[in-house]
Parts: sequence; C-alpha cells; structure tokens
Amino acid sequence: MTTTDTGERRRASDTRPVITDLIDEATVESIAAEAWVALVGEDEVLVPLPGDLPADILSSWVDVVGPWTGSVVLTTGRATAEELSRALLREHAPEVLDDEDVADAFGEIANVVGGNVKAALPGPSALSLPQVGNAPLVRNQADVCRLDVLWRGEPVAISVQGALPPLPGSTPTRKNEVS
Amino acid sequence: MKILIADDSRVMRQIVIRTLRQAGYDDHDIVEAEDGADALAKVSSEQPDLVLSDWNMPNMTGIECLQALRASGSAVPFGFVTSEGSAEMREKAANAGALFLIAKPFTEDTFKEHLDGVIA
Repeated sequence: MTTTDTGERRRASDTRPVITDLIDEATVESIAAEAWVALVGEDEVLVPLPGDLPADILSSWVDVVGPWTGSVVLTTGRATAEELSRALLREHAPEVLDDEDVADAFGEIANVVGGNVKAALPGPSALSLPQVGNAPLVRNQADVCRLDVLWRGEPVAISVQGALPPLPGSTPTRKNEVS
Repeated sequence: MKILIADDSRVMRQIVIRTLRQAGYDDHDIVEAEDGADALAKVSSEQPDLVLSDWNMPNMTGIECLQALRASGSAVPFGFVTSEGSAEMREKAANAGALFLIAKPFTEDTFKEHLDGVIA
C-alpha cells in the first residue's frame, strides 16, 4: 500500500526553538560582564553601547550542539583582540604577540562566555573547542541574540546565532556576517 | 604539594596558576599538561597530589582522563576547572570521582571555597 506524504509528521517534528525564545540580551550581557571581570581584569567593564567595527576584524567562537544548535561568537577589531590577549596574559605577554597567543586568549574568552551561554540553554548539549578567524555566517536573522558593547571604548559584538537556516514558511532571512 | 594543571589553553593555565597564588596557595610545585592524554601521562611520571583539569580538550577530554585514571587504580584527587558548570556536568564529574567542579569564570574566592581542605 502506498501512502501519501502529507507533510504533517514532518511539520510537527520540525518545530525548533530560536535563540530569542531561550535567552535574552540581559543574560548574555551578564555572562559577558562576569567573564570580562574574571579574565580581563577587575576594573574592566563592558558598556552596552554599539560602535562601528573597523574593517580589520577577528572573531572567536564556540559551537553549541543540542536542542538549540549554533555558535557563540565574539567579534572585534584585530587590534582590540590583541589588546584583550595582552590583558589576559598580563606579565606573561610577550613584546610581540604572535597569532597563536591571540587565538589562545581570544578563543578562551569565547569558550568561557559560550560555556556559560550553553549552561543557560536547554540540554543536553555539547560544546566545541574554540575557533578563531572569520565568524560563521548568520543563516537565520530570527535566530540571533546580539549584544553590542564597548570595551575600553572599542566595539565588541557578542552574537549567539543559530547554525540552521529558517524553516520553510518562516520569516525570510538575509545572509549577513557580523559587521 | 605538587599540583598538575591540565588545560589546552596556555593562557588559561597561567590564569589558574595566578588565581592559585592570589588565593594563597603560592608555595606549591606546579606541573602543566596541555590535554587529557598529557595529564594522564604526567600523573604517572610526576605523581602530583592534586589534578586541576579543564573538561573540553583535544586528544583526551578531562572526563576521559579521570575515567582512565580511576580505571588504572589511581586515586589522585581530581577537580575540574571548566567553562561548563551545568548541573548535568557537575553530576557527570561527581559520578566519575571528581572532588569538585569550578566553573569559569572563577575568582580567588571560588578557589578558596573548593580548595580549602583539599590543599594543605
């Protein structure tokens, strides 16, 4: 006997949460602020104001795979990423930072922020090792919780963004990198 | 006392060492390991009195290292210092025989809270 696929079962199982159903900007801001104080320094504050990112940017991120799948991405100017790395390394910072130092330090901030974002999301989820480079694309504008802050006057974007494209029939998306 | 610090991030190993000192544990020998496999080997070669380990690491994770240690008969005191502090992770850590789980970001007070009584 042949059956007709009405799509009902697929539609029923295709419901999935977007990040704004699960976490808000205030929670992300609180997580980031705590990470900054503990890692970067006691007096290091994040001011929740947007700023224009420079042309030469660097991102660090971790992926979360679970009931919600996506990435927790930090993006800032390359010079600011280096300054952040120096702040983490403190007296151990070499005169000239190499890419590995920046990848390690900037990646570790993403790891700490991402680990705490993951803990605030429904589980079980897995967390990837941190990566540094060009941020993953935003594939669904409705599945993004983005926070823009200033650190020492320099812009830093923190984006919790889904990895999956929107479901058919949902709000259309436009491809857009953090910019 | 000898403390083995396992983390694939060199920066984080330095931050853990700095925080140990700030918490007053400043006269102990420190050994560093860059992943779980390195930690497993160094528990054998260095005979530390305590292991402070990250969870997510390449080659061998922290929990795999702890499980391998316990399977080999090692009872070395073992605690996690990890960015993942959910109830689920804490339960997994405790079930595998970890003494505690310190979630990143941490402060010297967090270290004191978990390490007083463990570090003489």
